[in-house]
Amino acid sequence: MNSTNSKLTYSYYPGCSLHASGKEYDISTRGLFKALKIGLKEVPDWLCCGATPAHNVDELLSLSLCAKNLSLADEVKGDLAVACAACFSRLKTTQHRLADNPEKRKQVEHAIAGSVPEKKVKHLLEILAKDYGLEQLQEAVQKPLSGLKVACYYGCLLTRPPEVPELDCTEAPTIMERVIGATGAETVAWSHRLECCGANFTLSRPGVVLKLSGDILASAKAAGADCLMVACPLCHGNLDIRQKEIEEATGTRYNMPVFYMTQLLALAVGVPAAKLGFNSMMVSPLPLLKEKNLL
Amino acid sequence: MSRIGVFVCHCGENISRTVDVERVAREAGALSGVAFATDYKYMCSDPGQNLLKKAVAEHNLDGIVVAACSPRMHEKTFRKAAQSAGLNPFLCEMANIREHCSWVHEDREEATAKASEIVAMLVERVKKDKKLAPITVPITKRSLVIGGGIAGIQAALDIADAGHQVVLVEREPSIGGHMAQLSETFPTLDCSQCIMTPKMVDVANHPNITLHTYSEIENVDGYIGNFQITIKKKARSVDMAKCTGCGICMAKCPQKKIPNAFDRNMGMRPAIYVPFPQAVPNTPVIDRENCTWFKTGKCGVCQKVCGPGAVDYTQEDELIVEKVGAIVVATGFELYDITEKPKGSPIKGYGEFGHGKIPDVIDGMTFERLASASGPTGGKILRPSDGKEPKQVVFIQCVGSRAREKGISYCSKICCMYTAKHTMLYKHKVHDGQAYVFFMDARTPGKGYDEFWRRAVEEEEAGYIRGMVSRLYQKGDKVVVMGSDISVGVQVEIEADLVVLATAVQPRQGADTLAQKLGISYDKYNFYSEAHAKLRPVECATAGIYLAGACQGPKDIPDTVSQASAAAAKVMTLFSRDELEREPIVAKVNEKNCVACFYCKKVCPYGAVEEKEIRDRNGNLIRVVAYVNPGVCGGCGTCQATCPSKSVELDGYTDEQIVAMIEAL
Repeated sequence: MNSTNSKLTYSYYPGCSLHASGKEYDISTRGLFKALKIGLKEVPDWLCCGATPAHNVDELLSLSLCAKNLSLADEVKGDLAVACAACFSRLKTTQHRLADNPEKRKQVEHAIAGSVPEKKVKHLLEILAKDYGLEQLQEAVQKPLSGLKVACYYGCLLTRPPEVPELDCTEAPTIMERVIGATGAETVAWSHRLECCGANFTLSRPGVVLKLSGDILASAKAAGADCLMVACPLCHGNLDIRQKEIEEATGTRYNMPVFYMTQLLALAVGVPAAKLGFNSMMVSPLPLLKEKNLL
Repeated sequence: MSRIGVFVCHCGENISRTVDVERVAREAGALSGVAFATDYKYMCSDPGQNLLKKAVAEHNLDGIVVAACSPRMHEKTFRKAAQSAGLNPFLCEMANIREHCSWVHEDREEATAKASEIVAMLVERVKKDKKLAPITVPITKRSLVIGGGIAGIQAALDIADAGHQVVLVEREPSIGGHMAQLSETFPTLDCSQCIMTPKMVDVANHPNITLHTYSEIENVDGYIGNFQITIKKKARSVDMAKCTGCGICMAKCPQKKIPNAFDRNMGMRPAIYVPFPQAVPNTPVIDRENCTWFKTGKCGVCQKVCGPGAVDYTQEDELIVEKVGAIVVATGFELYDITEKPKGSPIKGYGEFGHGKIPDVIDGMTFERLASASGPTGGKILRPSDGKEPKQVVFIQCVGSRAREKGISYCSKICCMYTAKHTMLYKHKVHDGQAYVFFMDARTPGKGYDEFWRRAVEEEEAGYIRGMVSRLYQKGDKVVVMGSDISVGVQVEIEADLVVLATAVQPRQGADTLAQKLGISYDKYNFYSEAHAKLRPVECATAGIYLAGACQGPKDIPDTVSQASAAAAKVMTLFSRDELEREPIVAKVNEKNCVACFYCKKVCPYGAVEEKEIRDRNGNLIRVVAYVNPGVCGGCGTCQATCPSKSVELDGYTDEQIVAMIEAL
């Protein structure tokens, strides 16, 4: 391994969720990066990426929001690290849209009164798997998660559409399994890793979410998983916050903790459990972690 | 030459609309060396040609310029006319004042001036034309057929029945190709082996066919009528002359657990084997990678039990050279293996279908082996995982085909029909079973094809669902198919016992390397390119090489057999003459000036330049010069443009002529 990895440093775009309902994703990300001695500096004065509503209403608005964030991020050194799958998708989509559309680029540059910089956008998974490296991650593990059976849940946006995220293979990705596998955790092969959880329907048509997220939980349980691991605050909401409702609707008890990937990784590299926001999860992971001697 | 006739054509109105043809004829008549000039409405018509012939006789012409359309259109016509008037045909040239002038200009004045200049250039060129005689090339009346599937077999039999010698080369230990693997064939449900094996036996017994199985094309030299083919005969480790095909070696071989590729790895075979019981030749092959003797030197059972003593571990690969005059390429197809993304291929795999991971997700050819009476299950439809009879089978069409986002844009042509056939075969064997088919379109053009498909839907009750499948996953002992039905706009989930994928048809592995050896072109998918999609569909652009079957593009059996016979007919046409006549527009080397730098050899796209040794009468080497083989030369002139010492020239396009044309401008 080259020793320059300890000099890795990134600008950081948390996105709205990580400052609100997905706070534990944010604090565990910061904890993990600190433990791995990777620099992480939050982009000052960032704004919403537009999420799902903006691009459904006005494409120019959604592109401009992301373009503005990219130009703000350009003031901070290093590639842009993004945790939330939706923010990652919006930022990458914007770059993809503007790459071969000078007309759009002109409109966007007019809207943000500045130019759109060539800033590399990277998901945390990419940073850990490629920049930092799995071998080095393995070396950094202080508390192996061996014995923990993890179902890695990708959701929709990490790999789709194929030409945008460029994170891994669209239909059969392995990057999550490889990253968490470095901690000694056991990853299960299961069918619903890439199925939609219902996403925003959680507000407008919760019934849809109960069905889709219910199928995901059932499939993970059938594969023998102890817990789910996600990289998206919305997936987390649907699978964790709605889990009780799903259990009531289906009459099945899942009791399946849903971790953010960084919570498990940080735990493995020695960040104290008290600093990982485990208490703000609806399905408490503490009994499971106790049982596996990970606390 | 100084008595030249110029004939300016109106081409109806095609030329005369923008070019003042009378003026062009008048101005041409005033050129030095022109003895006669006229214009005519249709020069290519019979009266037009007669006008030309009459003028040659009356005015004693010794050179002709026809100012008309492109030489690609009518050069042959006018040269023939000149020849019948007693003139050497190569003293007749065409000035293109249609495609190069009247069709591309609107201003009459300018177009007329340009037409006159074109005519003046050609007049200067004709003055320096030489009489040329067509080149004759001898023809070796033997043919090579590459590939022993139904296409190669049909082509070989047709050529051999016409009385010509055929060399048939097959890569596998037996001929038969994919057709030998099929169970029954659409649209008549004939048993594939029943109609195939007699043909295979005919090949083996035909006095005019030399069969090389377990062999590959190593090298190809030469040109139309005169190819030299180097064939690598891989070591069978069994002496074909001694072997009687009794099969005791296979029965006694202790290695019994090698997946049989012919049965799509569902059945097992020993290390010494024939791919299938009806193999031709019925001589086993030792698979040296899996044979204990070749791995450790500790076995030798087959040699001990062989009565005639045919097993020979010391056999080595041998190279044989065959001289042939024509080549039929019939290397066939294989199914797109979606188990994993092919390395270095633009094609993305189908990870979401779990093919290779989920045992009960199989491809179409594997289903054929399950349904085949000679297959690993004796014709019973039993799924690979636990040998149970599947009660719900889902067939998925267009896996890879027509999927631009996955890298293949073409339609594989045969899957709609073979899937319909699969649903029938399944229903005939499992009466209480239900077949579902996910499809985009049902494409069934062909004689009796649509009727066949309708039968599958209406009488055999195959459930056709219009929509695609997003994912397959194992759930207990079922395979869950997540798809959509776009005709009613709902998502569909089916818990199937078996899933059959109609994967795309691709050319055989190594099709590109063979094409490079043969010097024929292929498309981005490695399918071989025909000379003209509509008018020369079985010929390659390379003279003397013909195509048959699915190596050119996806094809079903009727199309393949038709094309194989067509390719055979082309070969017979070639063999109907003793010598091949070709245009004498070829490059010639001036051996006195040649400095043997061989730049010409490097740039020649046809590989026509050879190194010729000049020796004195005692056989001492004096020098080496370039020599252009007139049989191979394509007359493109690249060598002439390249030669630094100006020692090579193309007949009919000499430097002198080109310069004279430029000076006439």
